[in-house]
Amino acid sequence: MIYRYDGTFAGFLSAAARAREPGARPEAITDREPEQQGLFTAVVEVPTDRDRAEELYALIRRTLSPGALQTLRHAFHAGDPGREILIFRYLMLGLATGRDFDAMLAHPEVIPVWKLARAVGREAHRYKGLVRFRHLEGDVWYAALEPDHRILPLIAPHFAARFADQRWIIHDPRRGEAVVFDPARREWAETPLEATGPLPLSAGEELFRNLWQRYFERLAIAERRNPKLQRQNLPLKHRRHLPEFGET
Amino acid sequence: MPELTLAEKLEILADGAKYDVSCASSGSSRRNRDGIGNAAQCGICHSWTADGRCVSLLKILLTNACIYDCAYCVNRRSNDTRRVILTPPEVAELTIGFYRRNAIEGLFLSTGVVKTPDHTMELLIEATRLLREEHRFNGYIHVKVVPGADLLLVERLGRLADRVSINMELPTREGLQLLAPDKSREAIVAPMRRVGELIVQTKEERKVSRKIPPFAPAGQSTQLIVGAAGESDLQIVTLAAGLYGRLAMKRVYYSAFIPVNRDERLPAVVGTPPLVREHRLYQADWLMRYYGFAAGELLNEERPNLDLSLDPKAGWALRNLHLFPVEVNRADYETLLRVPGIGVRSAQRIVRARRGGHLSLDDLPKLGVVMKRARYFVTARGRFAADLAPDAAGLRARLLEKTPARPRWNQPSLFEGGAAGIDLRSAITGEL
Ligand code: SF4
Repeated sequence: MIYRYDGTFAGFLSAAARAREPGARPEAITDREPEQQGLFTAVVEVPTDRDRAEELYALIRRTLSPGALQTLRHAFHAGDPGREILIFRYLMLGLATGRDFDAMLAHPEVIPVWKLARAVGREAHRYKGLVRFRHLEGDVWYAALEPDHRILPLIAPHFAARFADQRWIIHDPRRGEAVVFDPARREWAETPLEATGPLPLSAGEELFRNLWQRYFERLAIAERRNPKLQRQNLPLKHRRHLPEFGET
Repeated sequence: MPELTLAEKLEILADGAKYDVSCASSGSSRRNRDGIGNAAQCGICHSWTADGRCVSLLKILLTNACIYDCAYCVNRRSNDTRRVILTPPEVAELTIGFYRRNAIEGLFLSTGVVKTPDHTMELLIEATRLLREEHRFNGYIHVKVVPGADLLLVERLGRLADRVSINMELPTREGLQLLAPDKSREAIVAPMRRVGELIVQTKEERKVSRKIPPFAPAGQSTQLIVGAAGESDLQIVTLAAGLYGRLAMKRVYYSAFIPVNRDERLPAVVGTPPLVREHRLYQADWLMRYYGFAAGELLNEERPNLDLSLDPKAGWALRNLHLFPVEVNRADYETLLRVPGIGVRSAQRIVRARRGGHLSLDDLPKLGVVMKRARYFVTARGRFAADLAPDAAGLRARLLEKTPARPRWNQPSLFEGGAAGIDLRSAITGEL
């Protein structure tokens, strides 16, 4: 049985609630169009059911430790297709074992989810540094990034605290998603956003871009040149939106 | 000479500052109170330079002019270079401009000495004050203290900055006298001592009243040049241990000597700077700070230098084979930490995981243990993983690093802060 949901966390919990009913035999939980599914695998469309989702979430919070819950939430933001069924099995094991769950670090149903969460957490941390704002006309600060995982909601609180007096937008153009911060209300929100046309840069933006590029050029110590280490620390895919690498 | 543009001045002043390796922006958590910026507990890198180093802070000199003439320094008086100076408002505006774009975590401001140490300190204080008070900047600021400055100025600076540092540069008094004749050991140690006192005292006072402004909440640090004055690793490590213990030093940085001047007092360095030695010193430092090792366990008069082809923890283990193997299901945390191939994180995970049942050898790699090294030193449920019983000579051959790991320096900064919950430690220098 394949359970299809709408991609939200509440939707996932709704699907998980269905999948743990007695007699259910979940093979996958997904928000994608079923491609070549096995001919005999039934697809169940699960509409998001707020009440059921909240009920399950309350049970999770009562049973899982905060650390295990964070692992689950981070893993849910992973970009990997197929993550949901792993998270579902992790969740079932956690609900069944309760207090003993945290010590089961080497369990085959814990490891893959823990790895997903670690990858997401690492990427989110990394992007706290790699988000790069440009100042646009109208006093808006705009940053584009193309992360592997859906980390926007995970990094938004960091930027909301740090740039509390800036109107900023962090945009994931590949997924068509953005988080937008309103300094007047000190709130951020997720919103769909498509990329359109060239950015209307503010008057001072070119100056700072140039200052930064020239500063960066001077930083490397010639005697310690080590492009391999540089690539290891900062893979090429992360350089696309960084001005010091001359890209847009 | 024609006026230089801001960009040209920035280039010159970045050039003069880049040899200082201490770029850690961690260890301070400053909340954003009604302005811009905060200091994150866990270091954040914003880019990586062509030498692989993390870019975290805007690292510049206020000026590259200097009245002194230290042999190893690009900015020394006798060098024929173009001298420029930034005004305190220029420093503040550059910092804010980069910070708002999220290109930096904050500012690391160093300087040559203009006119007098006190005059220079006043300029540093003014730049820092403008950032904090006019721009209401709550991001990270690390400022150098000028050796020989009035201790009252040192105190004013520490009230504004997150971290202050005074570079010791030369580990021995003789080295200092030879290579930095204008700076006395006392001119360096007096402000260090004062900073240490104020850090401890302010912490106590703030327990009583939060109204008292913090003093260098991210602590003080210093830098030692390695390989410029013939000092031994024992001298360096012993000095570092003393700095950590007595002067409330938060970090000691080691910088492999890079000759930038021709000077007969300096050693002739051919080829690359002593990076492997620098790396081993970071590892030894790490062992002292996080693994509970004492300086005397790593080095002594008979063996005053670290083994370049073996990490110092493996070296210690080989000299203490009678303590091994240890049983992972019983050994306490401190003992686990001393096993080659087990780091802070894997030791913690072992302690946690074994509450859920006895661990087997197969469980260890899943907990992050590097079995390639640990196999010779542990048993699990009494079973030993290696094919040979530990015997020093054979073991040494197996633990040798054929090509010593390319130093991944500067990354230790990521470690401080601890509770950030994000797992970065495995990517860090010195974790063994
Ligand atoms: S005092 Fe500092 S800037 Fe001046 S020459 Fe000595 S090391 Fe260089």
